[in-house]
Amino acid sequence: MEHSAGSSVSTLINGRPPPLTRDDIDMPLNDDHLADHITQHATTASKHAAPPTNLEEFTGIEVLEKDKTHHRLPAEEVERSRSLNSVTNMSSSLIGKTVTPFLKEHIPSIYAPIGKLQNEEAAREKEPNTRYCYRHRPDSKCRRAADEAKMIMIQSELDKLSQADQQAITHVWSLFSAAPARHRQLMLQGVLSQLCFPQLSLVSREVSEALKIDFITALPVELSQKVLCYLDTVSLTKAAQVSRRWRQLADDDAVWVRMCEQHVNRKCTKCGWGLPLLERKKLRNYTRQRQLAKSNANGRIEELDDSYSRSEDQQLAKLKRSADALDGASDSKRRCVNGLVGVAPKEVEPKTRSWKAVYRDRWQVGYNWKYGRCSILTLKGHTNGVTCLQMDDNIVASGSYDATIKIWNVETGEEIRTLRGHQAGIRALQFDDSKLISGSLDNTVKIWNWHTGECISTLRGHTAGVISVHFDAQLLASGSADKSVKIFDFNSKETYCLKGHTDWVNCTRLDVNSRIVMSASDDTTAKMWDLDTKQVIRTFEGHVGHVQQLLLLPAEYEPDEELTMGANGIVDNTDAHSVASGRGGSPSISFGHVDRARISNSPGPDDDVREHYGPAFIDDPSRPLPPRYFLTGGLDSTIRLWDSATGKCLKTMFGHLEGVWSLAGDTIRVISGANDGMVKSWEPRAGVCDATWTGHIGPVTTVCLSDSRMASGGEDSEVRIYSFKDVGGTGDVNTPS
Amino acid sequence: MSAKQDTATQTITLQSNDNAMIPVERCVAERSMLIKNMIEDLGDEMITNEPIPIPNVNEPVLKKVIEWCQKHKNDAPQTAEEENDNRKKTTDPIDEWDQKFMQVDQEMLFEIILAANYLDIKALLDVGCKTVANMIKGKSPEEIRKTFNITNDFTPEEEEQIRRENEWAEDR
Repeated sequence: MEHSAGSSVSTLINGRPPPLTRDDIDMPLNDDHLADHITQHATTASKHAAPPTNLEEFTGIEVLEKDKTHHRLPAEEVERSRSLNSVTNMSSSLIGKTVTPFLKEHIPSIYAPIGKLQNEEAAREKEPNTRYCYRHRPDSKCRRAADEAKMIMIQSELDKLSQADQQAITHVWSLFSAAPARHRQLMLQGVLSQLCFPQLSLVSREVSEALKIDFITALPVELSQKVLCYLDTVSLTKAAQVSRRWRQLADDDAVWVRMCEQHVNRKCTKCGWGLPLLERKKLRNYTRQRQLAKSNANGRIEELDDSYSRSEDQQLAKLKRSADALDGASDSKRRCVNGLVGVAPKEVEPKTRSWKAVYRDRWQVGYNWKYGRCSILTLKGHTNGVTCLQMDDNIVASGSYDATIKIWNVETGEEIRTLRGHQAGIRALQFDDSKLISGSLDNTVKIWNWHTGECISTLRGHTAGVISVHFDAQLLASGSADKSVKIFDFNSKETYCLKGHTDWVNCTRLDVNSRIVMSASDDTTAKMWDLDTKQVIRTFEGHVGHVQQLLLLPAEYEPDEELTMGANGIVDNTDAHSVASGRGGSPSISFGHVDRARISNSPGPDDDVREHYGPAFIDDPSRPLPPRYFLTGGLDSTIRLWDSATGKCLKTMFGHLEGVWSLAGDTIRVISGANDGMVKSWEPRAGVCDATWTGHIGPVTTVCLSDSRMASGGEDSEVRIYSFKDVGGTGDVNTPS
Repeated sequence: MSAKQDTATQTITLQSNDNAMIPVERCVAERSMLIKNMIEDLGDEMITNEPIPIPNVNEPVLKKVIEWCQKHKNDAPQTAEEENDNRKKTTDPIDEWDQKFMQVDQEMLFEIILAANYLDIKALLDVGCKTVANMIKGKSPEEIRKTFNITNDFTPEEEEQIRRENEWAEDR
């Protein structure tokens, strides 16, 4: 056979008909040279490992063409031009003899079920040569489904032709269909080189229509998920509606947890959406597990569920270690309580709800925030103005000039308890799971068990009313009308006083981590104090009225680049400056433009930033830096955003008509309450007001914020709770102006 | 140091699965972590004499991938930090050259993604996946089906139920 193949190719090139060398093939002399040629080629190709070069292929075809014209009778020539693309004179018996062996050769499973010669099998294994490329062979994922409409069209067109034409065309198709990939390419190249432009145009149209791949189904799962992770929320929900397979992949936790990471408690810079925080812990644990899974897989993306099944013990050990390191014992304890330690890591975080459902809930709350849809509860009970508020997911605590503190149910608005004991109006309060600390105009600070209403302890020290309390870990900072800040250590019982303000201290904010306290005062300044040296690190000047509130922004907060980059000509305030007073007493930095640009451009290595906080931070490189950004609100009706490193006021937010009494916020939004009776909501990165709420009769003296609620208290003795969760379609729905 | 420079501009040969021999600058080929590691394992001598077989990629695709590597040969390697920053990942738009580069038929795009994954060229894989994501973005389910020639295998009842399940994300 090898000999016959070689000789027939050479005879073709010589322009002579090939000699009959095989018993089973009646070698044709004219019209089915094409089929013959392919057969020969098939044989040669399967024998030789190296593919034919393009030159060989095209020479072969050209010679073939020449060959045809040489041997064709004039009558046949006419016939040929009459019905293009058909080989009318081909007798079926002849075709049977040429096509069948070809089919047998290439799809033996159908046409020649009996095993082939050993050496041919070996050759085949060495050079797998099937109808589809390597990718398509193992499974039929990429094989296209028949297009019904097209098949009907082809059928009806075919029916219009004569019997002989139909047969001829069908044979061309079956030849092509049986051909292995390389031969198909060759056939196509031959056919394409014969096409005129209108035909090429047809091919182009057909190809662009046909060349569509269901990427999500055809790609490996981890790549499909990677693609889906690039989608926005709406597109992802659309993708879930495409088909069963798409739904399975687009609803997967691995995709939605990414959406949660991107949007929950931060504003996605792409879509501008920030979703309120909900299951913080769950997200953190889940993220950690994913990272573990990732690092185990050498940085390659892995399918979550698969990765867990491997080396479970090792992973469990790792997980435990990291959990202990990061969260301390509390995390492990919680797992113990849940009875989950010792089971596979996969179940450490029980999947009660899908991440998509979590995301959906957050999205709905975020949506309500965005469009100001909320239900409002008004809490009545205080007999004088409300001065301070705090809430968590269950309760709201409010303090009032009526000298009482009230605990309310945040859901129902019911009054749970009243804490009595102070002799004068309450000006400040803060609570955690076990205690509530309040500051009063009776000059004392009281510590309460708010669950029982019992006053545990009374701290006396200030010589005038206590306007502010703030505790963080074991430290308590109080600010007073006696112009001082006092720090009390619950553990050592040590107490000391920070003096520097020249008027009432209205607000104190501790950061135990970096061992600093911030204070805001009626003397129109804010100060940052070093708890180690008891000295002022920096004084922030800019407000032209009493500074009532100071809000430290979370570490993940970053202002808009515009604010930090030097567009300060427009947004900055030339009247704002600050005085740095290190141990040496001289300003340690300059505020030139070059300097600022350098800082804002290199937030990564904190050495550059560190030097701005003075010698106490430079000398101890391990000391955590103070919160970089904070807000102040003042009776000059403005809210200011500060960079604590440079001391610069980055932005002044205008909008309130009268003095700002209160501020609350997270990374997604900041709210403010003012003497003008309004509550305003601000986008914190750019400092733009996005909603205004009215309702209090008189000044709003205090505001507070949680994931899905905000609350305000006013001189009208009322507390209003705005809930953005489960807002009904009708009823008590409010829309801000 | 000069020896290192020599190796960077040294030419090595890649062999595609259809046996095409493609000469390529070493630093270009090393955009692929697979090839980079392979070169490290095989040693400098081995690779100057022998072609490196790339059994999962055919010639046209391999050439296309090399074209991308050529363009991006001076890019800084992505740091682990960046890799973990999910925000950055999604917000970075595809740069103009890459967008043009990705204007290929779906089969080629598909093959480029598979090749980038196999050859471990993370940045190219990212661009490929983003390109597909962009083909999905902003489309209705029916438009997505049309784009990728997907058969709707839901029953009308299921379709309606799934539509309602996903209604929350619609702008109302």
